[in-house]
Amino acid sequence: MTVGRGSAVAGALAARNLVLVGIAAAALVSAWLLWMLPGSLRVSGGGLETARAFFARALAPAFTYEAVVPTGTTPLLWKAALAVRDTVTMAAAAMSLALAGGAVLGFCASSAWWSSAGTSGWRRALARMLWGATRSVMAVARAIHELLWAVLLLAAFGISEIAAILAIAIPYAAILGKVFAELVDEASPEPSQALREGGASALQAFLFGQLPRALPDMAAYAFYRFECAIRSSAILGFFGFPTLGYFIAASFENAHYGEVWTYLYALFALVAVLDWWSGALRRRFVA
Amino acid sequence: MGRPAAFSFEGVEVSYDGSVAALSDVTLEIAAGEMLAIVGPSGAGKTTLLRLCNGSVRPTRGIVRVNGERLDRLGPADLRRTRASIGFIHQDLRLVPNLRVVQNVVAGRLGRMSLAGSLRAMLLLPRDLQREAYDLLDRVGIAAKLHERTDRLSGGERQRVAIARALAQDPAALLADEPVSSVDPARARDTVQLLTTISRERGLTLCVSLHNVDLARAYFPRLVGVRRGRVIIDARTAELSDRQFESLYRLAGEDHE
Repeated sequence: MTVGRGSAVAGALAARNLVLVGIAAAALVSAWLLWMLPGSLRVSGGGLETARAFFARALAPAFTYEAVVPTGTTPLLWKAALAVRDTVTMAAAAMSLALAGGAVLGFCASSAWWSSAGTSGWRRALARMLWGATRSVMAVARAIHELLWAVLLLAAFGISEIAAILAIAIPYAAILGKVFAELVDEASPEPSQALREGGASALQAFLFGQLPRALPDMAAYAFYRFECAIRSSAILGFFGFPTLGYFIAASFENAHYGEVWTYLYALFALVAVLDWWSGALRRRFVA
Repeated sequence: MGRPAAFSFEGVEVSYDGSVAALSDVTLEIAAGEMLAIVGPSGAGKTTLLRLCNGSVRPTRGIVRVNGERLDRLGPADLRRTRASIGFIHQDLRLVPNLRVVQNVVAGRLGRMSLAGSLRAMLLLPRDLQREAYDLLDRVGIAAKLHERTDRLSGGERQRVAIARALAQDPAALLADEPVSSVDPARARDTVQLLTTISRERGLTLCVSLHNVDLARAYFPRLVGVRRGRVIIDARTAELSDRQFESLYRLAGEDHE
């Protein structure tokens, strides 16, 4: 129990660090992606110049557009808010799919529910096969990063919301499945054995003896993954989905670095709020 | 529940992983409604003897019967039904710590529920089941803890939750493994008294493994002494000779040497 609590704390700390790393990565990836496009600038040594101009605006984000815009254009801050909304919506949609998938995969990939004594021979063999198959599927789905999934799905379906949602949901379901299975298998087997000995079926013993022990850590990890999904969702904007990344890319292309920082700060605020919220929930339910 | 359960052991031997036998050549009849204490040092085979009764340990040799039926011949469904009729109180209790007390108690009924029924029972906690759990907790003296989280309870209270869970099975027999070791000495007598009184009230067969010979002598009409996997004494408490008591005390004392 202490170990589980400890790893949750370590997870929360790691989550906080990864928030910072994620934002830095978003900046780097955007820089990398965009340096590729205006190739001529790089040749003329403008890359360093761009970086200097970009970081010069770090403490001076824009509150209005840096260029003249037609009247009736959505104000910058409102646009940032809408982008935040779309980023969250996409992450939430992907996460609900990933949670459902992760629960099923995690159940199939845990050995806790079928390895208990008393399950008859052929069911045991079937369960073992299912276990092996699930592990392999998860390994493949996990090996491919969400950005790569996005490239593949874009090639297949074009720029559609569902492509972006699946790009996040597929690898996340596999990651959640793996971690869920491990958390469940780590929970002590005694309570579920006791239920078995009181006449409960293997599935009942799993659901009410084994799973409850793992649930708080599973919830904490799912929250951390939601944070990751938000960052992924933002970054998928670089491919043309209307999330924060899309506007970051557009403003960067036009060298409107103040706007870029506005969007980055919106992302930062979003992740910070989520981190605070998940922390509050965790304190309420786990402690 | 109908009649109390009877157990019988016929030339039973248990060895784990082919090592030294945990039990050897045990032949024992436990009649329906009987109350007996199994006394002996730790490692003597008391727990194994109890675990044979609900089939959670299978004999390497010999036959175990519950109500005349061989446990090794029962199919999965019949084994479940038999297990559901035997309440086992583990030494380490084996409750789910982060569930509420009421859920741990209701979990005792899982053996008689379908999967859908058990989901409804555990998640929605219907009023009649809550009422039942309340009555059982009331019987063991901790009704006020019904909705508390189980890991917030003291060791003694948790033991009572484990007893209530076993009773929720509506069992024909109660088996308790060293129920005294998880509570402080002052509470030991209360626990044994509670188990014997409840078993008498409900007409249950009761088998308890105990370290404490005085408690065994005061509350149980039959004593079984176990040492190094063998039953060395099996007698009515009233008919035990001084010499036999002496050897029982010596048995119980072997731990502390």
